Amino acid sequence: MSLKCLLVWLSLTLAVVPSAAADAAGTTVFAAASLKDALDEAARGFDAESGNRTTISYGASSSLARQIEHGAPADILVSADAEWIDYLEERKLIRAGSRVNLLSNRLVLVSPSAGAIGIRIEAGFPLARALGRDRLAMADPDHVPAGRYGRAALESLGVWTSVSGKIARSENVRAALALVARGEAPLGIVYSSDALAERRVRIVDEFPVSSHPRIVYAAALAAASRSAAAPGLLAFLRSPAARAIWVKHGFGVLD
Amino acid sequence: MLPTPEELEVLALSLKVAFWSVLVSLPLAVAVAYLLARASFPGKTLFDAAVHLPLVLPPVVVGYFLLLAFGRRGPIGALLDDWFGVVMMFKWTGAALAAGVMGFPLMVRAVRLSFEAIDRKLEAAASTLGAGRLAVFATVTLPLALPGIFTGMLLSFARGLGEFGATITFVSNIPGETRTLPLAIYTYTQVPGGDEPALRLSLLAVALSLAALFVSEVMVRRATRRITGDDADGRH
Repeated sequence: MSLKCLLVWLSLTLAVVPSAAADAAGTTVFAAASLKDALDEAARGFDAESGNRTTISYGASSSLARQIEHGAPADILVSADAEWIDYLEERKLIRAGSRVNLLSNRLVLVSPSAGAIGIRIEAGFPLARALGRDRLAMADPDHVPAGRYGRAALESLGVWTSVSGKIARSENVRAALALVARGEAPLGIVYSSDALAERRVRIVDEFPVSSHPRIVYAAALAAASRSAAAPGLLAFLRSPAARAIWVKHGFGVLD
Repeated sequence: MLPTPEELEVLALSLKVAFWSVLVSLPLAVAVAYLLARASFPGKTLFDAAVHLPLVLPPVVVGYFLLLAFGRRGPIGALLDDWFGVVMMFKWTGAALAAGVMGFPLMVRAVRLSFEAIDRKLEAAASTLGAGRLAVFATVTLPLALPGIFTGMLLSFARGLGEFGATITFVSNIPGETRTLPLAIYTYTQVPGGDEPALRLSLLAVALSLAALFVSEVMVRRATRRITGDDADGRH
C-alpha cells in the first residue's frame, strides 16, 4: 500500500471514530429496563422543552452499573435498586451529592391474560404446584434488582427452595415479562408497572410490601459526565410534569 | 486453578448440547450434502440457499424463528408437546436444536465438498463388480467422504459450542439447563465482580477449541491415510 493510500485510509478511519466533543452534545441515560415506556415519555418531554437530545439505553441495572464501571459514556444512571448506585458510589463513579431516590414500585405475580391460574400470595403458598412442569419467569435473582427483590420475597414467604429449580432467569425484568406475555411461562414475577405496560398479562396477586426490601429507584449523575444538560434532565425527572408520567405508568413517586 | 463444580457443570452441559446437536443432524446433513452434490432437480439453487440460510442470518433471527415455531404456542412446539410430550422451551434439547440448526450449513458444506471430490470411477468400478447402489454408497462413497464428514462434524461441533444468539433468544439462560459456555461467560461479564470467572471460562473455551481442532486433525489424517493407502510407516 502506498503512503497516499495509507493516509486516505487513516483519515477515513479516524473520521468515523467519535470525538470526545460529540459526547457533550446530547445526554445519555442508562436506565433500568422496567422504566422503558415511562422514561421514554419523560425524556421526550424534557427534549421538547429544552432542545436537548437524550439517548436512553435500557438494561438490567446490574449490567448498566457494570458497563459504567468499565467506562461506558453514561451521564445519568437510573437503577431499580439503591445497591448498584452504592456500588458505583464506592468506586467514585457517581458525582458526589447528585444521588436521589426517585420512584417506588410494587412486585406482582403475573400470568398470561388468558391463563386461569388463581393463587393468593401468602406464607408457604403453593407456587411450585401451580407451576407443575413449567417455569417461573423472573429476572436473574443473582444480580438483577427485580430478581433480587423477587427472590427475597419468595424466601421470606418460605417458598424459594421449592421453586428455585423451576426458574427461567432472564437478563432483565422486561425479558421475564415477555416470556409470560408469549405464554412460554405460565407465571412470572415482575413489577406492577410492567404488568400495566403489557396487555397480554394479568396480575394474579401482589406480593406483600413487607415480604421484600423496599423497592427504590435511585438516580445519579455519572462522575465522568460532560453533558451540560444532564443535571437539568435529572431535575426534570422530579418535576410535576414528570411526576404525572410516572404515576400514569404505575410508579410511586418518592420525595 | 481447577475448575469449580459450577464451571464443570457449564462445561458438561456445553459438551452435551454440542454432541447431540452434531449426532442428530449428521444423517440429515449427509443426505442433504449427497443430494446437493449428485442430484439435479428443479429448485435446487433455492434449496441450496435455504440450507445455507443459518450461516448468513443474524443468529438472533434464527432463535426468534425457533421460538415462534417450537415455542409452547408455536405450531411445531404445540404438536411435539401434544403428541410426544416433548418440550423444547427452556430445555437443553432446545439449546441442542439451536446449535444443530446453526451448525447445519457448515456440516453440509464440508460433507458436500468431499462427495464432489470423490473419483466417480471408483463407484462405477464397484457397480460393475456387482454392488448395488446402496452397497456402493455404504462401502465406497461414504468411506471416501470420511475426512469431509469429520471436518463437518468438527465445524458443527465448534459452532454448537460457541452458539450464543439463537440459544439465548430461543431457550433463554437457565443455569444447568441452557446456560452453555458462551452464555455463562456473557452472564459473568454482565455481573460486577464477574471478571475472574469470565476469564477462567474463556480460557476453558480456548482449551476446548484447541482440543477439538487437534482431535479432528488426527481423525482427518487417519482417514486420509486409509483412503490413499499410506499407513503409519509411510508404506504404500
